[in-house]
Formats: sequence, structure tokens, C-alpha cells
Amino acid sequence: MATDLRISNISKIYPGCIANDNVSLQFKSGKIYALLGENGAGKSTLVKILSGVISPDNGEVFLNEKNLKLSSPLDAKKNKIGMVFQHFNLFETLSVFENLSIDATEDNKSLRVRINEIFKKYNFSIDLDVPVLNLSAGQKQKVEIIRCLLRSPKVLIMDEPTSVLTEQETEELFISLKKFCEEGILIIYITHKLKEVLSLCDEVAVMRKGKVVSVSQTQNEKVETLANKMVGQKLAKIKKKINISKNKDEIFKVKHLNFYSDDPFETNLVNLNFSVKKGECLGIAGISGNGQNELFQILSGEIITPDTSIIFRNKEIAKLNPKQRREYLMAFSPEDRISQAAVPELKIYENVALNNFKSSNFFEKGLVNERKIKEHSKKILSDFSVNTDNVELKSQFLSGGNLQKLILGRELITAPELLICYNPTWGLDVGAINYIHETLIKINDQEKSTILISTDTEELLKLSDRIAVIYKGKLSKIMPSEEVTPEKLGLLMGGGSID
Amino acid sequence: MIKIEKRNDVPMALYFFTPFIAIILTILGGGIIFYILGFNPIEALKFYFITPISNLYGLSELLLKATPLCLIAIGLSFCFKSNNWNIGAEGQLTFGAIVGGGVALLFYNQEGFYILPLVILAGAIGGMIFALIPAILKTYFNTNEILVSLMLVYVSKLLLDYLVVGPWSNPEGFNFPETRQFSNSSRMPLLFEGLRIHAGIFLALAAVMLSWFILYKTYLGFQIKVSGLSLKTAKYAGFKGKTMILVVFMISGACAGLAGVGEITGPIGQLHRMISPDYGFTAIIVAFLGRLNPFGIIFASLVVALTYLGAETAQIFLQIPKYTGQVFQGMILFFLLASDYLLFFKVKILNLKKNELRH
Repeated sequence: MATDLRISNISKIYPGCIANDNVSLQFKSGKIYALLGENGAGKSTLVKILSGVISPDNGEVFLNEKNLKLSSPLDAKKNKIGMVFQHFNLFETLSVFENLSIDATEDNKSLRVRINEIFKKYNFSIDLDVPVLNLSAGQKQKVEIIRCLLRSPKVLIMDEPTSVLTEQETEELFISLKKFCEEGILIIYITHKLKEVLSLCDEVAVMRKGKVVSVSQTQNEKVETLANKMVGQKLAKIKKKINISKNKDEIFKVKHLNFYSDDPFETNLVNLNFSVKKGECLGIAGISGNGQNELFQILSGEIITPDTSIIFRNKEIAKLNPKQRREYLMAFSPEDRISQAAVPELKIYENVALNNFKSSNFFEKGLVNERKIKEHSKKILSDFSVNTDNVELKSQFLSGGNLQKLILGRELITAPELLICYNPTWGLDVGAINYIHETLIKINDQEKSTILISTDTEELLKLSDRIAVIYKGKLSKIMPSEEVTPEKLGLLMGGGSID
Repeated sequence: MIKIEKRNDVPMALYFFTPFIAIILTILGGGIIFYILGFNPIEALKFYFITPISNLYGLSELLLKATPLCLIAIGLSFCFKSNNWNIGAEGQLTFGAIVGGGVALLFYNQEGFYILPLVILAGAIGGMIFALIPAILKTYFNTNEILVSLMLVYVSKLLLDYLVVGPWSNPEGFNFPETRQFSNSSRMPLLFEGLRIHAGIFLALAAVMLSWFILYKTYLGFQIKVSGLSLKTAKYAGFKGKTMILVVFMISGACAGLAGVGEITGPIGQLHRMISPDYGFTAIIVAFLGRLNPFGIIFASLVVALTYLGAETAQIFLQIPKYTGQVFQGMILFFLLASDYLLFFKVKILNLKKNELRH
């Protein structure tokens, strides 16, 4: 039976922002719909309304002309709306089967039969009795999808599903999604990634600032046209000039980096060796959870590992803490900008004071020099075009992009010789991403080096001079980025090998 | 259906106002309890909160009780602000009193201007050393400071018991569990003839000023603030986490030790079993009621000191046990936590019926 989902005049207003402004959309089964938009465009709000997590201030949702009352996620389930979130809602230590049986209404035996039927139908194969923590991200996502399929959904909503997948896993996912679509399940696909929209979806709705700005057939669209619709302005294209750094000095060298942890949720690192040249960007690719967290913390000095040798500008720094490493002109931008790189409850100038390098004189003789810190903060706000000049503002009121600019500004104002950043554009909108990318390229142009640990392959290919892939705590061989293709990266990131 | 949501921005003014709401609710709650017990609530509350401080002697007693509470709470605020849960201030107070008292006993038959400073210093060092035990165990062996500091309270109390019954007991004391009286040079100077309020109050005021300065104007204070809000950030910024834990415990222990030595060299004048009516525990309430802010703590220590006094008056005039003081202290904490909850979260009552009608 055909499914028809209609959203009519939905509005949701939060204090200070209109998340959804009179949104009306229509979806029919047999097609895959993309919902495209920047961060804060209102996609998540709309999805949360459809899945019953929040209720709209105004407007209605109709499924096959029946007005739906979605006041809890349970209502969404009852009405056969399935949802796979970006962050998995699985119990890591329970087995796959236990996870699937938690909210099942039937007995285990018939549940197993039904799961196996789904496996056969869609060509899935996952061991039902291993704990979820042993699964790859792609497999975990499949468990989430199976959980939805068990309820025979009419609508399946996928929120940024490929952010944790390898290229191969993404392809598999697309094949499955197309199959679901053929079977009459209505699929709504939420994403940032323009190419995915073009290769997977039939119709695309673009949202900007809470409003639907365009609905069109994907066959009439190109990457550039979609990007323009999404951002609402012409995008400046950045192209990195290839750094001729063949004979430059090595500024940073890591030898015998080993890390062993008792914590099953941490990844052990096995004998990493690499070096970075002056003015070079070394990219480290990988799916998240393959040791990037641990690697970043060891490079920044938050974790000190015995026997590792880290030479920076001809000095051994392996035993130094982050503050001491900063004195040698290293800088760090961690992945978790909200609660690690900055403290949301602190004011902007207090967050700036976190990078208390020696020549800053922020704390003369142990006393706070508030005037100096504020002056310095003002400079960062204007130099890095953060959209406020109020240094007394708490950083929780900055948007992700502005917060990241503040953090990069804080780290770069010392003119460091090496910047290590981990997913610097994670969750940011296109405008902010471009700004950050330009900044990172500028650093290399000034003969300073960067190490870019990132899960975004496009970003890595755009910015890096050489790229290595980290997989299960091991580093692949380091390749010049001209020789690297997305396919090659995907293969290595998924644990395969090349040539 | 009820839904609870976190508030994004809590106004600072309201944050410092809720303790007053908690106090008003406590007084109302107390009135209800008195009414149930068969007293006229207005009259009973008057005995409790007005009578004790309606004369000069009462005011002096209020300051006398507020002094150790304020000192200890100031010290605790360093620990609590930096996410270190030292709840063993009572033990640090007792150990400070033992070490300070030991020095005072050395000079029991001597006079000299240098004796009191030595005794005070010994008390502070004693408290500091005792607080270092949970701090070192936490930094180097990953123990839980809540358990260790709490258990050490009983260790110090039993040690005091042993000393006043055994080796330190007064040879002319007819086997009472107490030491000799300290000499006059080991006693805190009284501020007014006939009142018990003594120079220890200046120690407390000095601690307030000093802690304000350290917390808001120094690098150490900044590190404490950041560590309290996010340990991950503190690590990333490269703060010396272990050193900081040791330092805040030492500050906290020294303050508690000072409070202990203030008691024995002030109103008590010797060591015996009951040198503190649980000031070390009550000061935890004081610290939170004062919002871990040095000046807030002055105010909070006066309020909580009044519950001690009120309990004594109520015992005399209403013949109810003085443990009602603890009931009031408990209510203050309870109402403070409850109003904080409503301050940081909002409760939404979703009207389901209206929704159903609409559809």
C-alpha cells in the first residue's frame, strides 16, 4: 500500500530562534527524499517532531490523510515511523539479539526467526550473539535498521547515516535503502553531504534558517547548485596549492608510539612512527574510534606514554604536559570543542586564558591580569571574525562555528610551529567550514606545520600534503595526497589493504 | 504528564537569592513541626530565632559558633569548587586540635607571647597533614576521597579519646577524660570582658579575604574554577592536576585545623572528648548555603550558627531536645537542594487532554 506523509504548516519557536517556520512538505512512498541543510537550518527539529521527541507549536502531520498525534517517540513507533539516529542508541555490552529483543513484544524464538528472515531478504549477516561493542559502526547501524524493520515501518528516517561509515559501508547502505524503497517504505534521508543526495535520492528539499527554500528533482541538480541553495550565497572554492616540501626539514618526529589500555572502550595504539615537515599538513584519516582520541591525547601531552619518543624542533618532548608543549610552540584543537577545548560556563576571555603561554603575561606572578586577557581576547574575536565583540559573553552562547573560530584563534595567536587538530569542522556549517579550511591552509603557507586528524575524507584530501590512515590503532603507510583517492582511503579506513 | 528540562541560562541574581528562599522555607517548615508537636509555632520560632540573639551575650555566642563554621566552610569551598569532595573536615578539625593542643600542653606551666602563635600554627599544620592523607591516596592510588576523608574522622576522634583518657589525661584530674587546662598564654584573647567571643574571629575574617583573593584573582583560583567545571579541559590546558588536588586539600585541612585550635584555645581551654558539635559536618551545609562564595559563607555561617543557639534555647524554654538544631540544618540543606533543582531545571506540565481535543 502506498504511503503518503504530509507535513502541514509546522512551526516550532525556541526563545531567540525560529527552528521551523511554517514548514510544509509532502512525501510519497517509492521515492527517497533528501532533507538538506546547514547546521541550525531546522532539519533536526523537523525530524524530532516527526519522531515524537518534541511537539510543534503549530501545524500538523498527516500519514495517509490521518492526522497523527505525535506526543512521544512511542506514538511515532505506533504509527510505523522508524528512525535511525546519527548516534546509535544501543547497549554496547549487550549482544545484538538482546538489543533487538529489548522492546520486542514477541517471544525470543519467533523474534529470531523474523530477524533471520530480514537477514535473508536484505543480504545482511551479523552474528546475533556477539556484544555490540565488537561490531563496526556499519554493523551497529544495521542493528538499528533491523530494529526499525522488525516493526515493519511505513516511514524510515535516517539522520546523517554515513558520518561514521566507510565508503564501502556507505555503498552497502545505499543498496539496502534502495531495496527498502522498492518495497514501499518511504525514506527520508537527512544529510550535509551533497554528493550523497545526488547519488541516492530522487527528490531533495533544502532548508535554510527554519524554512524550506527549495524542493526539486535531484536529476536537475548539481553539487554546486545544491550547495548554493543550502548556504544562500556563492561559495568561494578553496584549492590548496601543492606544497613543494620534498627537501624541507622534519620539524616533528614520533617514534615507537605504543599505548595500551585496560578500558575496553579505548583503542590500543601499536607502534606508530611518523614525521611532519616544515610547512606541511599531515592528514590522518580513519573512521572514528580507531585510536584517534588516544593519538590526539598522546600528541597533546594529556596522556604520557612510556618509551615513546617525540622530537619537536630537535627537542625530546615526550614527557612534557600540554602546557609545557605549548611553550615549545605547539598548539592543539581537540575534537570536543564544547566541553574540552572550552568550558561553556566560562566567559570568552576566561576561555582564552586557558592557553596561558609564557609570553602572554596573563598571570603575572600568579595573579590574574584581567586587562591583558581581555585585550588579547578582543584581538582574537576581531582577527578571527567571531560574530561578537563581547568578551564577557559565556561561550555557551556562541554557535559551533564561532566557538571553533575562537578556539583556533586562541591556539594560533602564539604563532605556533605545529598545530594539531582533530575534526576541526565537525558539525559546522559550510560557511564556517570554509573559514576554518582557509585558516588551516594559511598556516601551511606561512611555513608552519599542521597535523589534521579527521574523519572527513573530503577535508583531508583538500588540505593534506600527505595522508595516512589509522585503523584499529595501526597506522598505514604515509602517502602523498596526489596519489590518494577517496576509494583508496575508504578501503584503508575499512581495514582493507591497497596494492 | 510532567517533563523536566534543563534551563539554559540561570540569572546570577536568582542564583544568590535562592538560599534566602531556602531559609524562609526552613522557618516555615520549622513552624509546622512545632505546631505538630503542640507548640504555638510563632512563639516557638521566636524562642528559636529571636530570643537567642536578643542580648549582647547571645550575639557574642552567635559569632563564637559562626567562627569555626565560617573557617571550615571557607576551606571546603576550595575543595568543592575544584571537584574534590572532602567531607572529613570534622576529622581535620579534631587532628588540628590534637596537634595544637599537644603544643599547648607542652607549655602548660609557662607563659610567653610566642606560645599562642605556635599553638595556632601547630593546629593548622595538623589539619593540613590530616587532609593530605585522602589527597595523596586520591592522587597516587585513585582512592575515593569521600570514603577516606569520612573514615578518617572516626580515626581522629578515637585518637583524641585515647589521648585524653590515657597519656595526656590530667594527672590531677580524678581520671576525668580531659587534659590539663592550658596556660593563659595558650588562650585566645577575649574581645570583651564577660563575653566568650575571642580573637579567633579575626582568623575567620582573614580567611574570607584571603580566599576571595586566591579564588578570584590568582592563577591557582582560575585553575580551581576550570577544574571544577571540566576536568577534561583542565587536563587539556595542562594544569598540574595532582598538585592542585594536594593544594586544595591542604588549604581545606589548614582551615579546619585552625577552627579546631580556635575552639580549644578559645571557649574550651583544654582537650576533652567533645571539642566540636560536628562543626566539620555542618560546615558542608554552610559552604553550599553560601554558594561557595567567601562572602556568602559569612552570611551562611551566621544563619547556621543561629540554629545551634536556637536549639539550646528551645531545649531550655520548650523542653525539646537540642537535636532539633540538626533538624533545622537538615531542612536548610533539603530546601536549598530543592530550590536549586527548580533553579537549574524547569518542570513542564504537558496538558494531554487539550491535545486530544485538538485532534
